[in-house]
Amino acid sequence: MSIVPFRPLALRLLLVLSFGALVSCQGTIEDPDMDEREWTRPDLPDEELPEFAPAGLVLPRLTASQYYDTLENLFGDPIPQMDLEADTNPYLFFTIGASTTTVSELGVQQYEESAHAIAEMVFGDAARATELMGCAPASPGDACVTGYLDHVGRRLFRRPMSGEEQMRWHGIANSLAGGDALRGVRYAIAGMLQSPLFLYRAELGEPDPADPSVRRYTGYEMASRLSFLLTNAAPSDELLDAAQRGELDDASGIHEHATRMLESEASRAAVQAFFAQYFDLVRLDRVERDPALHPSYTPTLISAMRTELELLVDDLVFRQDGDMRTLYSTRNTFVNDELASHYGLSAPSANAVTFVPVELPASGPRRGVLTLGAFLTMNAHQTETSPTLRGKFVRERVLCQTVLAPPDNVNLDLSQEMGETPRTLRERLEQHRDNPECSGCHAFLDPPGMFFEIFDGIGLHRTTEGGLPIDASGDLDGVPLADATALGDTLRDDVRVPRCMVKQLYRHANGRLEEEGELRQIVELSDAFAASGYRFQDLLLALATSEGFRTARPDGEAP
Amino acid sequence: MPKFKPLARRTFLRGLVGGTGVALALPPLEAMLTKKASADSLGGPFFGVFFWANGLPWHAQHGGEQAGAGHADVWTPSTTGAGYTPSPLLMPLARHNVSVATGLEPKTQVPRSPGGQSDGHMRGFMVALTGDRPRSMGFDHPSHTLTARRPSIDQYVARHDAFYTEAPRFRSLQVGVSNARFHDYGHWNAISYNGPDSLNLPVMNSSTLYDFLFSERPMDATQTRRTQLLDAVLADARSLRGRLGRRDQQRVDAHLAHLSDIQRRLAADAAVCEPPARPGADSGDLIRKTETMADLLGVAINCGLTRVFSMMLTSPATTHVFNNVGVPDNLHKTCHDGHWDRVRRTQLYQMEAFAAFLDRFETHTDAEGLSLLDRGLIFATSEYGEGWKHSVKELPALFAGNACGALRQGVHARHDDGNFSMAHVTALRALGIPTPSFGFNGGETSDALRGMLT
Repeated sequence: MSIVPFRPLALRLLLVLSFGALVSCQGTIEDPDMDEREWTRPDLPDEELPEFAPAGLVLPRLTASQYYDTLENLFGDPIPQMDLEADTNPYLFFTIGASTTTVSELGVQQYEESAHAIAEMVFGDAARATELMGCAPASPGDACVTGYLDHVGRRLFRRPMSGEEQMRWHGIANSLAGGDALRGVRYAIAGMLQSPLFLYRAELGEPDPADPSVRRYTGYEMASRLSFLLTNAAPSDELLDAAQRGELDDASGIHEHATRMLESEASRAAVQAFFAQYFDLVRLDRVERDPALHPSYTPTLISAMRTELELLVDDLVFRQDGDMRTLYSTRNTFVNDELASHYGLSAPSANAVTFVPVELPASGPRRGVLTLGAFLTMNAHQTETSPTLRGKFVRERVLCQTVLAPPDNVNLDLSQEMGETPRTLRERLEQHRDNPECSGCHAFLDPPGMFFEIFDGIGLHRTTEGGLPIDASGDLDGVPLADATALGDTLRDDVRVPRCMVKQLYRHANGRLEEEGELRQIVELSDAFAASGYRFQDLLLALATSEGFRTARPDGEAP
Repeated sequence: MPKFKPLARRTFLRGLVGGTGVALALPPLEAMLTKKASADSLGGPFFGVFFWANGLPWHAQHGGEQAGAGHADVWTPSTTGAGYTPSPLLMPLARHNVSVATGLEPKTQVPRSPGGQSDGHMRGFMVALTGDRPRSMGFDHPSHTLTARRPSIDQYVARHDAFYTEAPRFRSLQVGVSNARFHDYGHWNAISYNGPDSLNLPVMNSSTLYDFLFSERPMDATQTRRTQLLDAVLADARSLRGRLGRRDQQRVDAHLAHLSDIQRRLAADAAVCEPPARPGADSGDLIRKTETMADLLGVAINCGLTRVFSMMLTSPATTHVFNNVGVPDNLHKTCHDGHWDRVRRTQLYQMEAFAAFLDRFETHTDAEGLSLLDRGLIFATSEYGEGWKHSVKELPALFAGNACGALRQGVHARHDDGNFSMAHVTALRALGIPTPSFGFNGGETSDALRGMLT
């Protein structure tokens, strides 16, 4: 079963933890502090956290999917989808990239071209335009035109246009019409689609009448925030109407509308998008494998792994409305024919495109997302596994621990010396423990990754590596565990796991890292999450109604 | 229409000095003058940055452990000065008489906090591209979040008044070849910075580049309306700007500036430019794709569409798998695994790609028969000296083209423990940009590389 070839003796192995935190076992640097060094930053005890203080403002630019989903909601299908500047995901989330990066000149030109292409397709077709507008414009800038532009303006800018904006865009519909009313509409729309009032979410709040030291997002701004969080697109007419009626000015109204929105298909896609970023599934798109080492590797297998995870999340969040902690311990999953065979499961009704629910065997090696293809494959290299990468994922993503940088000038190499007896990766890794320079960071990172050594670089189950038996026992923070399924059960009951999910969602929702004054808010949301039985929909509702999502610091932007 | 610029007296004199210095190697003065005039009609020399990932195969000059590994130096030429003997890795570039500087390293300070700032992927990259240290957010947030403190050298040039007296259609172009990425954000994804958190993402697809460059419509009523429309867009942008904090104001200001540039382009006549054949689907072969991109850039430069570009062959810490040269793992991991010979092969291949790029540039000649390599200066560099230990010593710098006679070709300048920003000083002076010194936060220098400038 195992496909790891006998390694040439001269091959030098180096452990790669991401790029830099490689720790030497050559022992050339002596640092007496190394044993004492912390490899993660401890969290403050809850009772020592400062009082909640709202954080600074951010100005997110719409992501490409927010841009297109918004316009499809507004103009219907089809609209041309041209290249837009690629979104970036610092700190895992596109919303954070959207609020920190500056658009390039090419990006602005792409907005210009996209705006004209969309306006041309939608409003260059008189029948489509008339149907969409609900009236037939008779002359440039008539009531049909201005009424429709006011409607579009409210949807694009997520609030009614100001008098000045109305004059500006009504004026364009007149001045660029050249006698053709629809042409005027086309240009006005093409202009509004390029407007930074559409492309940037300016949610600036207003002084809270109850506490002027806090800025509170207005009803329209809350409509925007709710809508981008729960549907990944700008608000509907219905939600904007609710804002206009003042229904988003208090928590109960927000709760009611958020509950309604969670029933939409769009919110399922939005939740999916969050988890795809949380788990960094984009890395699956880049997986390459050596076919000589992994004969069963195919691109369709990798895409099935992604679908599997999406179905599992969707099932847990929406169909079961279940305990999110079971992501790490569940025996449920979804497979197509290729994935069933990859896991050695029988799924007679599955085929290439049909995924079916299956129960992983109780006595088998797999249980929970960390034993499924996506995680195991993303966190491995082309030619071998990586307990370090897998352990790092558990530390950083599942437990939200921070792996600190190695000290300056630490020697970053672990090599298998020439002439040594071949050993398993585990044995070579454990060599680290003999050296204090290595042992700190790797004793922190590797053990949770060791459990997964019974899965190769594409998640295929194996019992040997290069002919040598694999020991896949390990420990988590010093507590010995038998195998990956035991780790899954332990993670399910670890209080850090749901709190980590809350923290990541909080970052995603706000488009920035949390500030210190918000740590208490995250703890409170975690408590609410627990009280609800760790149901994700309830967490979204708690977040949407929380002060951390509804208020901002008065003196401006985030640091 | 591109404006004709009067022959710059300084350039003229520089040509004469160069002519006397290496008289035998140069064409007769009369031809020189003609070529000069032609170059100046396009506004003087152009500047390009060519970036390749993961430095060089390690050797003794990279550090003690690297010395212990016992591998030969296949990069540094054995002789210095003009007419050096090319090393094995520089052999593919010998036909273009490329100049090389060795021994260079970053001199910038390394603040202790946040950690990880000494790492080559961060420090080496930022010094090579910006002359400054990184602005690090820390090594540890899920992964390596950092940004530049100032523009990268391509944007420094593209925004310099002494370089563009009149901006061409595009101040600069950014293109890339390999799609592999270590991360999808920050400098892992792009090498051209306008400033902190403001990147120019490379165009990765030759069809997109083609459309960007050549899809100009004739100046007609539609074009006029599009241009006028931007006035309204700009008005909306200004109304937003006033309500923002300082940082977001800067972001919107950049957006405003881009809108103005686009408006200027729309209002200008379409370029007098014969578009080349439209490229087909990009090849998965890096060298083929490099050639396609080089051809499009070459036409753009000769048409006067731009005078600055950056070319990212591979992204920093690239995860590109060079299985075409028998390397089964991605390059970043291959470096760390210490596979010296595999790294030698991948870096030789990357030099072959640079040579192929220059081959294409050489074939692009203007009306006077002057090749792009006579007019341009292409500065090639990487992110650190070597990727096994991330040593920033021996950070490579190459110079192709003679920048209208300002840069001497075929020179090896050796500066033991030299300040890398001497490479920047050299390039900037060759481009006619007054540069008393360059480099920041400990990296300042007023010296140019030895023997490179005419």
